[in-house]
Amino acid sequence: MILKIAFKELKEIVRDGRFRITALIVLLLLVAALFVSKGYYQSVNAQHNEAKVNARSEWTGQGKKNPHSAAHYGTYAFKPKYPLTLIDNGVDKYSGVSIYLEAHKRNEAQYMAAQDQTALSRFGDLSPDFVLIFIIPLLIILIGFNSFTREQESGTLRLLKSQGVPNWKLAMGKWFGVFIPVLLIIVPVYILAAIFLSGIKDYGEFSLGALTILFGVYLVYYAVFTNITLVISSLVKKSNVSFVILLGLWILSCLAMPKISTAIADSLYPYPTQVEFEEQITEDKKKGLDGHNPWNEESKKLEQETLKKYGVDSVQQLPFNWNGFLMQEGEKHTADIYFKHYQLLKDTYVNQSKVYRATAALSPFLPTRFLSMAISRSDYHAHWDFANAAEKYRIQLVGKMNGALMNNSKYGDWDYMEDETLWNSVEDFSYEPPTYASVIGTNSSNLATLFGWLVLSALVLYAAVNKIKIA
Amino acid sequence: MIREKWVLILLVLFFSITLFAVRNGREKVNDRITSIEKEQQKSNLSETLVKAEIDSAEQKLKPLPKESWADPRSLINVAWDAPRVVAMDAQPLTLISTGQSDLFTHYAKPKIYGESYTLGFSELSNPVQLLFGSFDLAFVCIYLLPLLVLAFSYNILSSDKESGVMKLTFSQPVSIFSWLLSKLFLRFIILSGIVILSILVAVTIYGVDIFQNASGLLKVFALVLLYMLFWFTLSFLINLFGKSSGNNAVALVAIWLAIVLLVPSIISQVSNSLYPVPSRINMLHQYRVASDEANKRADEILKSYYREHPELAPKDTTQENRYAWILSYFASADIVNQSVKPILDNYDAALAKQQASVNNLRWLSPAILVQNSLNEIAGTSTAHYTAFREQVVDFSFVWKDYFKPRMFANELMKASEFKDLPTYTYSDADIKKNYAADLSGIIFFVGISLTASWFVYQRYATAGILQAD
Repeated sequence: MILKIAFKELKEIVRDGRFRITALIVLLLLVAALFVSKGYYQSVNAQHNEAKVNARSEWTGQGKKNPHSAAHYGTYAFKPKYPLTLIDNGVDKYSGVSIYLEAHKRNEAQYMAAQDQTALSRFGDLSPDFVLIFIIPLLIILIGFNSFTREQESGTLRLLKSQGVPNWKLAMGKWFGVFIPVLLIIVPVYILAAIFLSGIKDYGEFSLGALTILFGVYLVYYAVFTNITLVISSLVKKSNVSFVILLGLWILSCLAMPKISTAIADSLYPYPTQVEFEEQITEDKKKGLDGHNPWNEESKKLEQETLKKYGVDSVQQLPFNWNGFLMQEGEKHTADIYFKHYQLLKDTYVNQSKVYRATAALSPFLPTRFLSMAISRSDYHAHWDFANAAEKYRIQLVGKMNGALMNNSKYGDWDYMEDETLWNSVEDFSYEPPTYASVIGTNSSNLATLFGWLVLSALVLYAAVNKIKIA
Repeated sequence: MIREKWVLILLVLFFSITLFAVRNGREKVNDRITSIEKEQQKSNLSETLVKAEIDSAEQKLKPLPKESWADPRSLINVAWDAPRVVAMDAQPLTLISTGQSDLFTHYAKPKIYGESYTLGFSELSNPVQLLFGSFDLAFVCIYLLPLLVLAFSYNILSSDKESGVMKLTFSQPVSIFSWLLSKLFLRFIILSGIVILSILVAVTIYGVDIFQNASGLLKVFALVLLYMLFWFTLSFLINLFGKSSGNNAVALVAIWLAIVLLVPSIISQVSNSLYPVPSRINMLHQYRVASDEANKRADEILKSYYREHPELAPKDTTQENRYAWILSYFASADIVNQSVKPILDNYDAALAKQQASVNNLRWLSPAILVQNSLNEIAGTSTAHYTAFREQVVDFSFVWKDYFKPRMFANELMKASEFKDLPTYTYSDADIKKNYAADLSGIIFFVGISLTASWFVYQRYATAGILQAD
């Protein structure tokens, strides 16, 4: 019975010229978006790989230098691009691509793509996620808005009921009638994406499992919209009204709620300005051990302690270069200061995420978007993880340089130089992203909210179809 | 029309949305103003303190420190401790459009150390906020206002046809086209009045003096009204096909989707391929290579270690010029700067060219034209931020150039000279304004729509519209 109803729905929908055109356009848009995305992804990735090689050769090819100078020269960490960003580029356009790693300073990621683009880019890009998360729900609305109302208006609902069709079977049949056309579009796109992504060589590891989970999330999202569409269609008498209400819900959910959430998050948990942030760090630096000015209090204390520990009277008598040691202690202290302040930033971000999680109760778009970005490794969390890994590497790199100064040179000998043996002894920066398991773990509340939407909308649909009054 | 309940609901909804949008804009502007003020106060305080120290030194009220570099009258200390706040002040109408203002910082304090080119201009922000965008008045006008227009006009012809009124109307000698146009025009006037009133009330509530900013507001209204007119004429066009109200609604929503959502994002995507942004990463490599070579030459003036830590360079008090060490630093840094400047300038030129090409693509959609002009009126366009960055870099040179010759002359700062220190005021006078062009672009779209309507009318007038269904 369900299948019969579903088939009838499908026939009616497919016969509708409007649907055919719309579905074709959507499919074309998706395929085009996929191709353009792929081109962009490959060119950016090629640039990054070239940049990594350049940065490494710049580092190892420094020639002879004082190791502390080498630490100042520093190197760059480039954020890797992952294959699934082809589907959802997330916040990559709004976060920097490279971090300059140097002594005494923790830098922000530079070269945010959006800053080099004009205001046009703020309209959004026609990326696959734009079509998949924004446009497909509209397609669902277009297919299903008059699912029940056209039966009301043409009187066929009365006929159906007189045949003793149970409400829930009717609903299921109509549900499949709406969902299957969507599947007909999504499945080919999934296969195409899988082929594309597995064909990309050397550019990040592609996980078919992750792609499947990603599309799984989208399918749950579409199920939610299908439920909502059918709920409205069954509760309302006229097709026009159903369409307007559903359109309003789509606008609220996909256009308005994200922006409203942003306004609330900004109001409640604002970020400091860049200048304020830097000045707070400078303040803390002034008050603390800075490793440079030998007249600084903390360093004097450390000097006394160290002299006592080694039982000598002056720093020249220490078995290592005191300047190297001082630099490193200073570097550790500075790193601690940076860690404290960056943690405050992270706290602001975590608090803002709470706001988004709360407003996700008002829009199925929000948890879907966050999950999609997380699985594609293009969310802000992925950026933080990379930035933290880069910082660890920076500390290690500078530590090695200061260590060489400390152990291999004499106090006061600023002409001391090391060569590429030392530079090569520092391994190249390599970054492993968090596992997908941990990504899902971090996003468990978004997952729960989305499933909450699914269950709730299904329950409401079940209740609604039982209440249908024949017009 | 006014008698229908949902019409009233829609209007109240629109007004509340406008209020909310302007409120958001106001909050962002307030944050900006507050942070600039705070910074200015800090700066004033520093200047007062430095001046007081110098005054004490001049009046011999306090003993001078032994090391000459710690002398409060040292030009280095003045330049370092009392820098100017170079701020991009908010304009009165900035609250109407966030534009690019969430990406960049609005003030800087250039010092005499550090290369001006590496001044960072990013603002700290959650990139998710940048991705989702702001709920500002520009969003309401570009995305939501067309829907309001469509709600008021989608069935302008079809409802009369469906209710049978049309047959009565046309039993009188009335030209269909002019009758339709006048109906449309009436709705346009009414809706325009409501929209303008909503905006005026909203901005007044949130602190804009409408009389002082009359010209800016008039520009906004001209833009918004023409944009609304465009949507009215589209509705008109679709109605002329003689289909049912339901069909019209779906068709118009599809067109809205295309013009406001799809076309701008397609153009944006295409512009990335047609006019790719020059690679920053590439530039970075060239920059590093050039500065490497220059550093080797600069080493001859001042060893690299002292260039990295100028504060450690030997401050020989027996030397004639107390600023010898920082002048060496400047000389060596200049060598590096001269090497890398062409690379940075080339990059900026390439970027400017790319952005100009992308800007030309705005003629393809009225939504993009409206966004461009609203950003321009609010002072939050890309051009504004590029201009501000250039002004900051320019001022950093002005600041340095005030002190350099005095350092060569081994001078000390006098308390009376503080009023001569260079100051900065932001100006957008040199930015090319595109408002007139954008406005004509929208008029052009209105024209196309009306012309298409005329042709459709010719084809369908006698055949379709009057037929009883």
